[in-house]
Amino acid sequence: MLEVSGLRKVYEGRRVEALREVTFQVDAGELVCVIGPSGCGKTTLLRCVAGLMPPTAGSVKVAGAAVTGPPPRMAVVFQEYGRSLFPWMTVRQNVELPLKEKKVPAVRRNELVAGSLAAVGLADVADAHPWQLSGGMQQRVAIARAVAYEPQVLLMDEPFAAVDAQTRADLEDLILVLWRDMGVTTLFVTHDIDEAVYLGQRVIVLSGSPTVVMEDLKIDLPPERDQLTTRSLSRFADLRGHLYAQIQRARGDR
Amino acid sequence: MTGPETVRRKDVRATRTGRTALRVLTVAGVPALLVISWQLYSTVSENFYVPAPGRVARAFAETWFSERLLDDVLPSLARLLAGYALAAAAGVGLGVAIGLSPRLRAAAEPVLEFFRAIPPPVLVPLIMLLAGIGDGTKVLVIASGCVWPILLNTVEGVRALDEVLSDTCRMYGVRDLSRLRHLVLPGAGPQIMAGLRQALSIGIILMVISEMFASSSGLGFTIVLFQRGFQIPEMWSGILLLGLLGYVLALLLRRLERRVLSWHHGRGVGRA
Amino acid sequence: MRRGTGFRVAYGAAGLGGLLVALEAVSRLGPVDERFLPPASEILRALAAELATADLWTALGETMWGWALGLAIAFCAAVATGMVIGSVPGLRAATHSTVEFLRPIPSVALIPLATLLFGASLGSTLLLVVYASFWQVLIQVLYGVADVDAVAHDTARSYGLSAWSRIRHLVWPTALPYVMTGLRLAAAVAFILAITAELVVGSPGLGLSIQAAQSAGAVTTMYALVVLAGLVGVAVNAGVRALERRVLAWHPSVRGEAPR
Repeated sequence: MLEVSGLRKVYEGRRVEALREVTFQVDAGELVCVIGPSGCGKTTLLRCVAGLMPPTAGSVKVAGAAVTGPPPRMAVVFQEYGRSLFPWMTVRQNVELPLKEKKVPAVRRNELVAGSLAAVGLADVADAHPWQLSGGMQQRVAIARAVAYEPQVLLMDEPFAAVDAQTRADLEDLILVLWRDMGVTTLFVTHDIDEAVYLGQRVIVLSGSPTVVMEDLKIDLPPERDQLTTRSLSRFADLRGHLYAQIQRARGDR
Repeated sequence: MTGPETVRRKDVRATRTGRTALRVLTVAGVPALLVISWQLYSTVSENFYVPAPGRVARAFAETWFSERLLDDVLPSLARLLAGYALAAAAGVGLGVAIGLSPRLRAAAEPVLEFFRAIPPPVLVPLIMLLAGIGDGTKVLVIASGCVWPILLNTVEGVRALDEVLSDTCRMYGVRDLSRLRHLVLPGAGPQIMAGLRQALSIGIILMVISEMFASSSGLGFTIVLFQRGFQIPEMWSGILLLGLLGYVLALLLRRLERRVLSWHHGRGVGRA
Repeated sequence: MRRGTGFRVAYGAAGLGGLLVALEAVSRLGPVDERFLPPASEILRALAAELATADLWTALGETMWGWALGLAIAFCAAVATGMVIGSVPGLRAATHSTVEFLRPIPSVALIPLATLLFGASLGSTLLLVVYASFWQVLIQVLYGVADVDAVAHDTARSYGLSAWSRIRHLVWPTALPYVMTGLRLAAAVAFILAITAELVVGSPGLGLSIQAAQSAGAVTTMYALVVLAGLVGVAVNAGVRALERRVLAWHPSVRGEAPR
């Protein structure tokens, strides 16, 4: 579904090589996490995949079609929830706007908005403005917006980096449920090893800058995940320890 | 049983009256004090230039609640509004265009800085020269003075649009007109309103000056007429009227802003 | 996308050049009569000629003196008033309605009064300049004083700082960015009002020279003086901004303008 091959990105003005050679793919319906040491170009990678930034070399393909600009059936949830929602619109309007742009008929639109807001547990605050909600709730709105858009591919850029631990656990479970129900291909960028292991079917480890793929690790945990039991499995600890060592190595290489 | 109940209710009423009295005192206390000292000063000093407040109030009623309202005040206001509206349309339109294009912005910046720095009143003789002394000239003077703060603030507001929000629009296919409507204009809204606020005071200045310069009617002209004829209470009533106009127009603009930018004030970003 | 200064300078110069060429063309090729809008080259030549005369520098000096003196008076009065109103409990609320009423009164309303009291002299300029810039500074000072952190205030009190030291070490540093914003806004307004007084009341200065050039039909000179007024305005803005940056260089947060 998502093919990234030989992706390279050099920032012109500063002559910084953010990505050297990144190649991986994500199959339809898969949830893949991307981790790496801080400053390793995770956000650059995501922006290239999203078509928000042209790569210097290499290509990104979604369902076989090369990405040259934001693809029509791709949704992104950004880290900065406070800045990715339109503060002058209500929660409902925020979720509805992309559907209006897609010219979804009104009846279907209402269904999708109501459905996605209910799915993230925000049906009762549809008429509030984003700034009246807590950070976690704002990120739920951004997730609802992505879900209502019915994307083929969902990109998430460290979406829970700025919320507290409890909220974070809730949101992780929300993502798992939505992903399972929708079967949407998901690329989840995070700096948190635990989160990557907990959510992912696979974890892609990026090296320090200049960035290449260090490892593509299959997470062989049972498909049903639970904050308590999954995290206390010894296999979870193994995987976590392995990835931790990898990240340390990536950091040391620099 | 009813005893303490009634007492308490009386207490409540008493504090409520107390609170109302306090509020009236806070709002009206200082102004009342000022008017009283004005009255005292005018009786004690006999200063020809400072007539008693009652005298000014009478002059106000006699002067402005007459055909002058239709002949002088309303036309002045109409010219102000026409010029202001023209400036708002041009300023926001051009500002959006310039703000959205880095090249255009870089090219326009020094030119705009220069035009903004020209004190608007010097436009009066200049535009009179180009366009004569009719109503059109005055509207043009007001528009060409008001347009700069609106234009520059709009450019600044559009330039500073949130990048994440901008990316969000790109991802979800919000572009062109609906990008303008849903992202650019509301995003630059607080800055645009700041520009409109600055432009309003410039507009009033230019309304008055353009009439003082070359006119045979209008608010500015009439006030100068009173001053030349040493009709001091009438002159003061004119100053008072201008003050009231400035106050009311600023108030209306603030109302509008509260409505348009309710989301902004609600966020606690803008302090009213 | 970040672009270098080279980009900005190149495009900025192109923009200015474009404006000059357009002005020249409009005048030479005839959409607007040359008598009403002289070519840019003529205006610049007239400006150079004017700059060589002593009269111009006298007029410019008078304008700047009225500007600086009026601004200084308004600034000191507004800072003192603002500190008192902001620091004495209850005074802010009591004066709120008065301030909110007096502030939007256009200072040009005072032109007739200035004419009567001072005639065509520096006094008229000062009356208008001081009135207009006083409110700009006062409002910002009030915002600044209100911005003092309650916890910091309590801390200062608990360590037994006197009222004077509290103002000096707590209130003033907090309010400073706002004060500088007020000064920046007031400087621009003061320049506008100084020119206005000269233009309308006839106080000596650049505005009067423009008025004189217009009555004498010296169109090119008038344009040259308007351009000069614009350049002085640019210098005033740039100067105050530089001062603001210098004064606030140590300040942890560079604040935006408080909404008025």
